[in-house]
Amino acid sequence: MTTLSRRSLLRGGALGAAGLAGLAGCGTVGAAPTTTGTIPPAASGEVVRLQYWAWLKDLQQVCDVWNAQRPDIQVEAVWIPGGNAGGYQKLFAAIAAGSGPDLAQVEMRNVPSFLLQSGLVDVSRYGFDQVAGQYDRALVEQVSFLDAAWAVPQDSGPMATFYRPDLLEEVGAGPPATWAEWLETARAVHAADPNRWLESFPVGDTSVFLAYASQAGAVWFTPEDDRWLVNMTDDATMAVARHFDTAVSEGVVNTSLAPYSPGWFAAVGDGRIAALTSGSWGDALLEGATGAEGLFRVAPMPVWSDLPGSYGSSYLGGSTAALMAGSEHPYEALEFATWMTTSPEGIDAMIRYSGIGWSPATDYIGAARQEGSEFFGGQAYGTEVFAPAAQEQNLDWTWPPIAQQVMDGLGDRFRTVVTGGTTMVDAVAAMEGDVVEIFREKGLSAEVVS
Amino acid sequence: MSAPTAARSAARGPDGRGPGGVGATTPARGRGRSSAVRRAPWMLMAPFLVIFTLSFLLPIVYAVGQSFTRVERSGLFGEDGTTSGFGGLANYRQALEGTAFVESVGRVLLFGVVQVTVMIVLATVLALLLESASARWPGAFRTIYFLPYGIPGVIATILWSFLYVPGLSPVVDVAGLLGIDVDFLGPSTVLWSIANIVTWAYAGYNMLIIVAQLKSIPGDLYEAARVDGAGPLRIAWSLQLPLIRPALLLAIVFSIIGTLQLFAEPQVLQSVSTAISNEYTPNLAAYNSAFNNNDYGVAAAQSVLIALAAFVLSGLFLALTNRKDRS
Repeated sequence: MTTLSRRSLLRGGALGAAGLAGLAGCGTVGAAPTTTGTIPPAASGEVVRLQYWAWLKDLQQVCDVWNAQRPDIQVEAVWIPGGNAGGYQKLFAAIAAGSGPDLAQVEMRNVPSFLLQSGLVDVSRYGFDQVAGQYDRALVEQVSFLDAAWAVPQDSGPMATFYRPDLLEEVGAGPPATWAEWLETARAVHAADPNRWLESFPVGDTSVFLAYASQAGAVWFTPEDDRWLVNMTDDATMAVARHFDTAVSEGVVNTSLAPYSPGWFAAVGDGRIAALTSGSWGDALLEGATGAEGLFRVAPMPVWSDLPGSYGSSYLGGSTAALMAGSEHPYEALEFATWMTTSPEGIDAMIRYSGIGWSPATDYIGAARQEGSEFFGGQAYGTEVFAPAAQEQNLDWTWPPIAQQVMDGLGDRFRTVVTGGTTMVDAVAAMEGDVVEIFREKGLSAEVVS
Repeated sequence: MSAPTAARSAARGPDGRGPGGVGATTPARGRGRSSAVRRAPWMLMAPFLVIFTLSFLLPIVYAVGQSFTRVERSGLFGEDGTTSGFGGLANYRQALEGTAFVESVGRVLLFGVVQVTVMIVLATVLALLLESASARWPGAFRTIYFLPYGIPGVIATILWSFLYVPGLSPVVDVAGLLGIDVDFLGPSTVLWSIANIVTWAYAGYNMLIIVAQLKSIPGDLYEAARVDGAGPLRIAWSLQLPLIRPALLLAIVFSIIGTLQLFAEPQVLQSVSTAISNEYTPNLAAYNSAFNNNDYGVAAAQSVLIALAAFVLSGLFLALTNRKDRS
């Protein structure tokens, strides 16, 4: 250790400090979102090559349908891990480096956080407003900020209840029409068999709780001028929180098996879970539960009958094809994205090859979804349940640029609800107190208005 | 031996200095050679130094720089201007103010005290048994004990998760048949389920470090001990244990650092256990800050804090054990 003299330490320190000063200037963010200027379409005769980064399976097959018709615009699909599992990290790194694809799959709730990283192109400037009427209105609302649209809705997840009529009949119940009935049914199911639950309530994945709050009529975040107004403790949210506090404290919902986890699938196969309220895309996943073939049916989700401002359904999940800021061909990229999400050909290909969620187009749900499915006993639940559900949505719900942090923070608090440490009512209130600080840490301004 | 040597010196020909080069440059020889001698180690080290600087030193400097960087925005999304600049200790304050991060440090410390102790004792006992005179097939058992270390942590955790998840796990099923209700993934148990995986994976590795040290004990020491009438237990206690002390210290320091960096196991188990939060361990918290919250400054601050903690804890441990040595 004697070789490390005081002088060499000082020199090291000086070098380090110089390095710090140099590096402190390198930020992780690019410029502010571009709101002016457009890139003109490519000249005729030029072949435009686009890249679409997404985690949809077999997306290239969908692109090939398009590529065969449009030799002038060739789209290549590049697979990335789903959302926060790695895909967003790749995209954010590409944005920071000023490169990346023309189009990227971004979940509806993450569009604002991409906006915060200056990663998106304002699609209104390239003609999205002319086709916006072809999409479900609630979806267009969710991608609209600052008087412009920032992504093309690609799929959504209107919610409904998948249930086992045989298990519910055992306690003399049908699919619950209201949340009050749901609670009664949950009590009856669990009382009849302590190893069976009506549903699992995911404490870790709070997107479900947010969807319920949105159904109840809550609007947690509202942009106003240049700041965010926060209201997470309105009557609707508190009613939802109280409702699930009751269910959790009585033990009539399962909180240890999160929906779609391996243990949950095993429980569904054994008949220990009688129902699942989830997005429309849950059907394909549910079909993976061995031993449940033909046993499930689909019904509209329960409603909050005592909340006047509530809605018939809610959205859980859903994603967009977002135009990335680095794209050199936004016109062509938007043209492809519009074809993919509104033309019957594009929608059918997306359903057939990529198994997308609910089609965002108002007029066409997809050929395959007009028929019954064997797994669900031939019930034509697409037209019967989900198509109406897609129209019964809370149009005012807005995702903030800190959606992930709000959901994660709430999830960390909800986990202690299970151990009896707190209640969801208190957890939501505590989270509301933290939200302004989270906004501030992002360099944004916000205010609680509840 | 001489043929390859000759071939090698002949091969030096084309590089310009040639076999006769040394003789030809006699006048300048003294100075030229000494500067070449001075340069040689640097040239030989250059490949290492370049990679070391690019992949190790610069990222550290960059991370430390990031930890002092804050972003300011105006407008709803920063559309009216975004700047990033020096933020002082704001990121560190934010990291330490969040109770979850501090709790996660406490959690891994508790984990370390219990798990490292259990694992090192287990590894020592296994090593002593394998190196004892009465051991059968020590080579085969050494391989078997070491085998889990060859399985990547993520795969190991997925494998173990199938033994933990109720409905899939035969262990839970059998316990249920016996009337015991076990929950490996609950809020109070999941930390020890992780400890079990880590112990399973690394006990064999630490055992190997200790075995290597045991093998270096000269045979005559054993002989002398036996002549003095020491039995196997006495040999283990008074001869082997004191002599494997350096290996034990090494294993413990590695384990302390490894414990602070606990990441893969809780991250994978998160998908089956609702009890694991996004900030369950310090590394998970840093990952969450960077990749879920896009807050690289705070993530960098958290990483620097983790590195400092590992540094301080390892240093403290070594200082304590060294002082004991001297006394």
